[in-house]
Amino acid sequence: MPDTFYYLLSWFLGIGSFVMLMVLIGHLLVSLVLIIPTWRICERAGFAGAWSLLHLVPVIGSFVVMAILAFGDWPNGEATAEAR
Amino acid sequence: MGTEVVALMGLAGLSSAFALVSLVLAAWMAWRIVEKAGLPGWTGMGAILLTLTAVGTIVPLVLLWVFAFMRWPRDTAVPFAASAGPVPTGSPPPPPGNTATARPTALPPPPKAIPDARRWLLTGKLPDGQAVALSVDASAPAWILTGAPAGQPTELSVPDPSVGQPHARLMVAGARLGLADLGSPGGTYIDGARLLPEHGPRDITSVRTLRVGTVELTLSRP
Repeated sequence: MPDTFYYLLSWFLGIGSFVMLMVLIGHLLVSLVLIIPTWRICERAGFAGAWSLLHLVPVIGSFVVMAILAFGDWPNGEATAEAR
Repeated sequence: MGTEVVALMGLAGLSSAFALVSLVLAAWMAWRIVEKAGLPGWTGMGAILLTLTAVGTIVPLVLLWVFAFMRWPRDTAVPFAASAGPVPTGSPPPPPGNTATARPTALPPPPKAIPDARRWLLTGKLPDGQAVALSVDASAPAWILTGAPAGQPTELSVPDPSVGQPHARLMVAGARLGLADLGSPGGTYIDGARLLPEHGPRDITSVRTLRVGTVELTLSRP
């Protein structure tokens, strides 16, 4: 009985670790796809491109970057009302 | 059993509410961001709302990349252009493809830096009280400090027995002035520090005093 228990436990731990690793890699890949364009947008707006690394923060990171771009004054200037 | 169902429904409702608030917030911020870039705000909001459709998140992702690398109307609209007057001659117009990096608040750089034609002055007094005033300018790349009477236009005479014949070489390179000791026994000092021939030429552009032999010279650039 104990042997079976430890056998199953090691299996669960192994599968769990593998799933966590896959989730982590997937998160990094998705973040990268978001970070590259956001880095450029931040730099064109006049902010440091490193702000885009907030995409690495799950759930709220992307919202923080968007809030910086949406509600902060762009150092490189914003389009005037008549230009729109 | 009923408790679990209610809890699951509550969780689903909470998740839906969170998703709805997030969507509205993201759409609002996207509206503002694209407006600051000069695009119509509804394009940003529409890109976010596309996540509600069957195309999922792929199309908004593509649109994000397009937005990042496209030409923004903000960069093409130059508000000060009308009042800035004519473009100075000598500065070529920017290439058409370069407008993405143009900034509305940036002025074009000057066509050419103004050369610094000021000369250096070495002034001091000999031990016998006689004043010395030597002028170095960019008309020659090298000048010789010597204790002998100046025989060449590029020789600067410091008539004192402690000054070698020649004593040191002054070099002019653009806005910089260099000094090299030529191995005279009297020695050359830069702000009190001995300069030896093996040190080679040293930049003395920002130096205040030189000593050749026993003669103290003040370096200035009026």
